[in-house]
Amino acid sequence: MGIRKYALIGALALAGVSMFGLSAKAEDVKLTVWSLDRDIQPAPHLVADFNKLNNGIQIEYRQIQFDDVVSEAMRAYSTGQAPDIIAIDNPEHALFSSRGAFLDLTDMISKSTVIKPENYFPGPLKSVEWDGKYYGVPKATNTIALYYNKDMFKAKGLDPNKPPQTWDELVEDARKLTDPAANVYGLAFSAKANEEGTFQFLPWAQMGGGSYENINSEGAVKALEVWKTIMDEKLASPDTLTRGQWDSTGTFNSGNAAMAISGPWELDRMSQEAKFDWGVTLLPVPKEGAERSSAMGDFNWAIFASTKHPAEAFKALEYFASQDDKMFKNYGQLPARSDISIPETGHALKDAALKVFLEQLKYAKPRGPHPDWPKISKAIQDAIQAALTGQSSAKDALDQAAEKIKAVLG
Amino acid sequence: MKRLLSSVRDGRGFDIVLVAFPLGFLFLMAGLPLLYNVLMSFQEVDMFSLGTFLRPFVGFKNYTDLFAQPETWPILGNTAIFVIGSIAGQFLIGFGLALFFWVNFPGASWLRGLFLVSWVMPGLVVGAIWNWILSGDFGVLNFILKESGIISGNIFWRSDPNYSLYAVIMANVWLGTAFNMILLSVGLASIPGDLYEAAELDGANAWQRFWTITLPMMRSTIGAIIALGLIFTLQQFDLFAAITSGGPNNSSNVTQYWAWDLSFRQYDFAKGATISVIMIVFVMFAAIVYVRSTRHEVRG
Repeated sequence: MGIRKYALIGALALAGVSMFGLSAKAEDVKLTVWSLDRDIQPAPHLVADFNKLNNGIQIEYRQIQFDDVVSEAMRAYSTGQAPDIIAIDNPEHALFSSRGAFLDLTDMISKSTVIKPENYFPGPLKSVEWDGKYYGVPKATNTIALYYNKDMFKAKGLDPNKPPQTWDELVEDARKLTDPAANVYGLAFSAKANEEGTFQFLPWAQMGGGSYENINSEGAVKALEVWKTIMDEKLASPDTLTRGQWDSTGTFNSGNAAMAISGPWELDRMSQEAKFDWGVTLLPVPKEGAERSSAMGDFNWAIFASTKHPAEAFKALEYFASQDDKMFKNYGQLPARSDISIPETGHALKDAALKVFLEQLKYAKPRGPHPDWPKISKAIQDAIQAALTGQSSAKDALDQAAEKIKAVLG
Repeated sequence: MKRLLSSVRDGRGFDIVLVAFPLGFLFLMAGLPLLYNVLMSFQEVDMFSLGTFLRPFVGFKNYTDLFAQPETWPILGNTAIFVIGSIAGQFLIGFGLALFFWVNFPGASWLRGLFLVSWVMPGLVVGAIWNWILSGDFGVLNFILKESGIISGNIFWRSDPNYSLYAVIMANVWLGTAFNMILLSVGLASIPGDLYEAAELDGANAWQRFWTITLPMMRSTIGAIIALGLIFTLQQFDLFAAITSGGPNNSSNVTQYWAWDLSFRQYDFAKGATISVIMIVFVMFAAIVYVRSTRHEVRG
């Protein structure tokens, strides 16, 4: 009996100690962060480094798949289990902020010494805005420009230091560079029927003076006609219609396309795979002196409105933003900031390309922001595909898209 | 009480428990989601109302909207072509192979087993492989056709609206043939040999034996396999995702891929559910054919 009593007391004491230990730990504020970043990408490292600070906030990281980001987040939010912080693709941002699912950060940002709106490129910053307020912080950014194979330019008698600057020059050069006997197309890009197609086409429409609200403007129709010329004359592979950007640029790397339209995410692979001299130039414009434009990609950070620790979550975002200067060196991603000068990598082609992309970023425009972006995007994709497969003219296709978009915009 | 207990152990109660268990399971696992899907097709669903049941009721609006879209009829047509083409291809080649292996040459059963490899592979892997085979510029299929002089220029299987649907059908026929062959082989093996002996004595030639013995004896197997084929092709999704993504310009889009695209790409869950309901009607039809043809089997 005596032993049992002592054992009981001992057990109780142990439980008390462990309870005490647990409660001491529970004083830490626990946050959860969801993002699609894998271990070679920034988010998990940012979280680990933040946890090492031991500042009373501990973050738990969860990786989600690209295709699941929106549906997972929606499900979690509608059942009250949303994370505190999420990384969301920029065209989807407005969907959440317009419904009040994301926290309005305007006041916190105005008081912050780390996150200042004026330090960001206008395109990425606009994608976190809704109704004049900030609902997030750009995480990284990217855009598209024209890669070209300098060796092929030389071989076809073109000046490798004068890449095409206008649409006409682009088509003209593509004609000269296309060589079916050698399995070489003049240009590689993507007109796939998914977000990638919109991502690639919208800059062209914008350069022509159009926009998603005004997709059938004269300039946008001209842009689609140029695309159609490229496809009809087989200056680009017919598989452009079903191939994404990564696969299309792969044909450029293997020497089967002389030019390619894609983004900085290609730089690492290209510097390894491309066995030729290459360069990057700004996206060609309709005619000399015309307005420049480009696409804007990548993710934003946002805090869910349901969070119990808004101040702590914002502190985490401030920490993430303070590490922006290391993003290109460590992970090959471009920070969405104009105040950070990215140090040279030592790889001459890559450094030259980086300068072009940073220049191009100044003209990058977000897709939307609009809560129904996927539907708008779908209308644009349908128009691209209908015109390029010859099922309707560029004008008719874009007129139809404009009608569908008008219905969405209401 | 005692009577009830004994009835459960051995009697009517036992029968009822036997029936109730699978029925309950079916209702929970298949019935509820199905009803939920039908319910969604009559509601206005938005991603933020996904978690609730009580959403605004819109009557047949989703249906009328759907059929007002210009791509709806072409996509339904594509689905019909896909289903008929796939089933016809899978069945004919599968039956041919089954008859071939029925001859029972040395190693026949071994080889027949190896054919199942295609059935074992995950759809996405099959899709990725066919993606390379069908690729326009460097595809294996184009290379073979060109070298053998059948075509002079490359055919862009995935990107030419005239071919894209047939490209996926080709891949699907390859994927499903082995399954058809195995089921048909089983059917062939169950035909008693003495029927053929008797027919041979009566002087029936090979063709007559096939028409008057093999085919009639295989009727229930064939009915089952076509019904199963209908279900398998209607749920074929991976190949579309991997090869054409329904493109270009919806030329290879089918209802099952479209439903996913609407729900999870455009977040129009109500329309996605509406398409699913239309598909349920077709699958029900297949299920009835299947049940009727296998009922024959059990009694036989």
